[in-house]
Amino acid sequence: MPLPSKPILIPIPHLRSPRRLLAVAALAATLGAGAQTIPPAQPPQAPQAPQPPQAQQTPPTGFNRNLIVLDPAHGGPNIGTQISDHLLEKDVTLAMAVRLRALLAARGFTVVLTRGNDTALSTDQRAELANRTHAVACLVLHATASGTGVHIDTALPAAAPTTPGAPLRWDDAQAAYLTQSQRLADQIGAAMNRSQVPLVSGHAALRPLDNLMCPAVSIELAPLALDGSDPIPVTNPSYQQHVDAAIAGALIFWRNQAQPPAIPAPHTTAPTTPTTAGGPQ
Amino acid sequence: MIPRYQKILFSILLTGILLMGTILFYEHKRAEDRLAAAHDATPIAAPADASTETIPLDLANDADGSITAVERQLALPEEPSVRARALLERLLAEYALPKSAHPLASGAAVDDVFLLKLPISSPTPQAATGATKAAASESRSASESGRPGHSHGELAVINLRGSFVDKHPSGVTVETLTLDSILGTLHANFPEITQVRFLVDGQPHDTLAGHIDLTRVYPVGDTTRSAQGTPTPDQTSAPTNAAGDPQ
Repeated sequence: MPLPSKPILIPIPHLRSPRRLLAVAALAATLGAGAQTIPPAQPPQAPQAPQPPQAQQTPPTGFNRNLIVLDPAHGGPNIGTQISDHLLEKDVTLAMAVRLRALLAARGFTVVLTRGNDTALSTDQRAELANRTHAVACLVLHATASGTGVHIDTALPAAAPTTPGAPLRWDDAQAAYLTQSQRLADQIGAAMNRSQVPLVSGHAALRPLDNLMCPAVSIELAPLALDGSDPIPVTNPSYQQHVDAAIAGALIFWRNQAQPPAIPAPHTTAPTTPTTAGGPQ
Repeated sequence: MIPRYQKILFSILLTGILLMGTILFYEHKRAEDRLAAAHDATPIAAPADASTETIPLDLANDADGSITAVERQLALPEEPSVRARALLERLLAEYALPKSAHPLASGAAVDDVFLLKLPISSPTPQAATGATKAAASESRSASESGRPGHSHGELAVINLRGSFVDKHPSGVTVETLTLDSILGTLHANFPEITQVRFLVDGQPHDTLAGHIDLTRVYPVGDTTRSAQGTPTPDQTSAPTNAAGDPQ
């Protein structure tokens, strides 16, 4: 919706002069703020063949600093890792997301879950949902029976567009945010170190991490192996609570540190072969 | 006052206990080694007509996420693609050892390794096989789009066995370590290989074990990293993503 160029005159007859001035100022501020979030009109484009989900056509002017996207990986027929005889990764990630959502909500965040129940979503659907929110952080949650502690991964390095109007591939949507993603991973990693949770960090070729247009990390929960004792399973509530509390604490710091990337307006190309619901997570 | 005969008897009994304890410990150790050897899937006999040489392998560790370069004495064939296949089989057999830090199931893992010169020229549609057609289209699109990657050197197409993929542990880090271990070992032994693409039973496959993307073309580089996942300075890991290309 294009904004009018002339100021809007709205009669406010019942207010005295100082209140009236305040109300007008508040209205102007509201309209001004709205102008920052509304993208400019796009030139008409040539009709194209129907395409799978696309990332936004213009980069966000800023993050919603109170919004976090949690993506509990897998779901539906895509069970993920068989952690034990009766335990599936999709259930662990969902439980972890719900617990983390409560912790983040208590700290004043608005939390969007890509799935709140055992539904199947493709990685492209998850990325599309997350990219619409302009979240300050996107966390992709996984669980495994291998390794120990918490594994934090960011997307593999890719070429970010450097010239205005350069095409941005769907698979490189994360490229412009990779520096911020690495800082977010460092922030969460530092919180894990403070919480005495073993940490393994690195890069992973993992969907939908590559397709997210926000600071994004994958957090994989593994059993906690301490010296001289049996490993604590990923289902241990106090272990999960401990890890979730560390993540929530890190995100409070991150809320004020995140910097939107300065990227030229991309022309995002969508994948020609969308990932199926049972595809990679 | 303890009689002398009791002291002698006590000494004899104590000596007997110590002796039996030593024998028991020794026998236990032997039985343990015997069991471990029974589960050892390492190839026993080397090719008779090849001399052994020192081969670097990049071995992964699940506990700290590290990849460490180690050296092994191996006898490998001369022909490059057969050599690459034997090398990868040997690498993955290391992970099937009982005390492996990155345990994988034993058994054959690699069906074939194909080495293709880059840039790949498009074959005629009739002559193109599925694997070469996919590799050619991806290599072409990577060079056309100006994305990072190498249009020189060789592309290695690694055809993994479905049984290996089915039995591979599932998880982001464990799958990443397997791939990085393969890429790093290839880089250390075949400097001319600049890109790697994976197939499973001759077909493109979405993921290794549910997480890590196998549809992209991976650049080859040094993947060794210390504990805590800190990459070494010369690590190169910018993939050429080819998922959006027709296959």
